Amino acid sequence: MGPILKIFAFPAAIILICLGILTILGGHITPGGGFQGGAMIASAAILCIIVYGIEKSPIQLSHNFISIIESLGALGYVLIGIAGLFFAGFFLYNTGADFYNLLPQVIVNIFHYPDVTNAGIVPYLNIFVGLKVFVGLSAVVIAFSQFKSKEME
Amino acid sequence: MINFGPIFFGFIIGLLVGLSMKNNPKTEISLTSGSFVVITIVAIVCAWQLGPFPYYTDFPIATGFLFGAIGLIFGKLLVSKA
Repeated sequence: MGPILKIFAFPAAIILICLGILTILGGHITPGGGFQGGAMIASAAILCIIVYGIEKSPIQLSHNFISIIESLGALGYVLIGIAGLFFAGFFLYNTGADFYNLLPQVIVNIFHYPDVTNAGIVPYLNIFVGLKVFVGLSAVVIAFSQFKSKEME
Repeated sequence: MINFGPIFFGFIIGLLVGLSMKNNPKTEISLTSGSFVVITIVAIVCAWQLGPFPYYTDFPIATGFLFGAIGLIFGKLLVSKA
């Protein structure tokens, strides 16, 4: 790739990541959410891989990092669902909003997302899905970029 | 009322992503600390232009965007020092 693209790509990737974070955090009241925001963050990593190459990319996702974030996303989602099952009797019950008045206020305050909307656990689910999608889509592109064609071998 | 959700979780997600930006000796781009100051200023301008997204009224800027950028740079500094 050309030098102009190499100068531009990494700062643009940082802005792309921030936009992805904003999409994840606004997912409960605006279009977007965990998957869309995670895909936007992954697009930043993919842009760097395409422009700089897998070995020279400034965003280096190691195997350990990918497995930790992927596990964190899946485990967090399931644990929040199990919290609903444990406290209210329903898997993925919105323990942060408690629309059916099943829970004591202490439990609701723990799971309540701190903003003016009464979204409960939905932003937390968006965050976990976003992290999981970010590393999942990036891992696919990293795996594809490491394949070598038969002519190169 | 200040919405702490996007401030706190924007920083956390930015930090997690920033931890993957290690100093790669093979890379062809070398950003100085001045470059990151410029990126921060651009992020503040972007956050200002986005406005109080989504429908918040506590600050005139998109706090999730701004704290995401701060978390990114903080995460990169953390892994660069290590």
